[in-house]
Amino acid sequence: MMEKATLQEYGFKDYTNLKKVYQIITKIIVALIIVALYLPIFIILIQSVNSSTDLAVFDTFTLKWYVEIFRHDTLTSVIVNTFIVSVCATTISTIAGTFIAIGINALPAKKRQRIIILNNIPLLNADIVTGIGIMLVFSVLLPIFPYIFGFPVLLIAHVFFTLPYVILSVLPKLKEVDPNIMDAAVDLGVKPYKALVKIVLPAVKAGIFSGMLLAFTMSVDDFVISYFTTGNGFDNLSIWIYGSIGRKSLTPAVYAFSTLLTLFTLSVLFISNFARKKGNKK
Amino acid sequence: MNKKDFRYLSTPYLIWLYALAVTPVIIMFVLMFLKTEGVTIDEETSLTLSNFSLLIEPSTVVAFYNSFKFGILTTITCIVLGYLVAYKIYRSHFGNKFLVLTVLILPMWSNMLLRTEALGNIMEPNNILADLLSRMGIDLYINIKGTDFAVLIGLVFNYLPFMILPIYTALEKIDPSLEEAALDLGLTEMNKFWKVVYPLSSKGIVTGSIMVFLPSLSGFAIPEILGKGNVFMLGNLIQQKFVQMEYFYGSILAIIILVLILGSLMILNKVDKEGETLL
Repeated sequence: MMEKATLQEYGFKDYTNLKKVYQIITKIIVALIIVALYLPIFIILIQSVNSSTDLAVFDTFTLKWYVEIFRHDTLTSVIVNTFIVSVCATTISTIAGTFIAIGINALPAKKRQRIIILNNIPLLNADIVTGIGIMLVFSVLLPIFPYIFGFPVLLIAHVFFTLPYVILSVLPKLKEVDPNIMDAAVDLGVKPYKALVKIVLPAVKAGIFSGMLLAFTMSVDDFVISYFTTGNGFDNLSIWIYGSIGRKSLTPAVYAFSTLLTLFTLSVLFISNFARKKGNKK
Repeated sequence: MNKKDFRYLSTPYLIWLYALAVTPVIIMFVLMFLKTEGVTIDEETSLTLSNFSLLIEPSTVVAFYNSFKFGILTTITCIVLGYLVAYKIYRSHFGNKFLVLTVLILPMWSNMLLRTEALGNIMEPNNILADLLSRMGIDLYINIKGTDFAVLIGLVFNYLPFMILPIYTALEKIDPSLEEAALDLGLTEMNKFWKVVYPLSSKGIVTGSIMVFLPSLSGFAIPEILGKGNVFMLGNLIQQKFVQMEYFYGSILAIIILVLILGSLMILNKVDKEGETLL
């Protein structure tokens, strides 16, 4: 009598156990990666509540560095500078970027691709080259505008490298907008620019918002471009931190400020996530 | 829609890009052949090719070697780790993947220099983490600050999110029915991954690699802080030349980086015409 062939004889290999091992190993690696990404944040947190200025020893728990943020004579001013530059740059590039994206979207395919390649330059270019480039342009213009370095050039530089993020966020949303809606609006007698504001902008607002967020993130965190384009004593947080690290005089108040910022973004994130979930249920 | 109405909205931007992205290249190109201080041109300024002797100086050669070494190592490590993380998130059953991704990007929102400095602090033998752990009876001894390995760790964990995001975007765009079809047609899980999922996500790997390779090759803060001056890279050299007002040397190096970037733009233009995976 013939015996029934088993699945194994047909070439079936049982990988169930191997798969389980693979699943566990990859999970551990991913967990380790996330821990590694957060390790510096965690160290900053510990440092911010350490009463000793010695970075190697944890003395006692304190919140004095959180008060120090507002007392330190230069830290307060560099924080204010950072926010002024980033808020101004983000506002300008969000508004300008949205209209530029509408313009790019209206171009014929060939021209559109050409401008997108140019648009990618600030995005992909090494920060150091972007920073030096802008610095060189305004160095040449220096005889005409002697006091331009500092806030004006810094703002121009920040608008320059944040604009591409806004444009790239808005463009894909614009492609999804049904062109017939615009036609309908214009046919019904709405002027093209009014239709743009009333119909196209609301349709792409998700893209505008994510572009704005990206632009702000990049602007606040920028160091290299700011380092080369500022001057006349106008420092932002990154430049000041770089200088302090070099002089080995970094005050723990910076760690406190960074921790506050992280906690703030975390809570905004969770609140918005919670609010959205509630909104979805309705 | 009569789209033509809005076309000229993009014209000012084209002028802006030419002024701030193309003009600097012309200035750098001219500076390469001048012997002068800063950008001043006076009677002492002369046209010369001697600036290019910089390229054969030992420190330049070392900087190039280090930059490429760290650039390539960082990119490869980021591809492996980044793909794993992106793939896990893509396959996971979390309801809100946006939140998971944000958790990964969140560390980027605190200052890059501060994170690097904090990382540097715990790479030294006496550090706050070891101090806290020793009170709990755990002995930890690390002494890697100033080594190549420290710089590599710093670069990888600073730029990893730039690799995860484009790969995830590319994975997300894969039609799930393609995978079902592959399995129905008799591919094993492993083959399905290599023949269907991986090729379709390679666009994300290319974008991610460019976004990791270029900054890790040209940055100067991370090697300076974590390498304690032992690791000298192209970015450090460029910074040094500009601080010393030797703009002509700095321009030569910047132009070389620019050529690398143009190469990457050409690659990117082949795989991703509309810049879809860039964000």
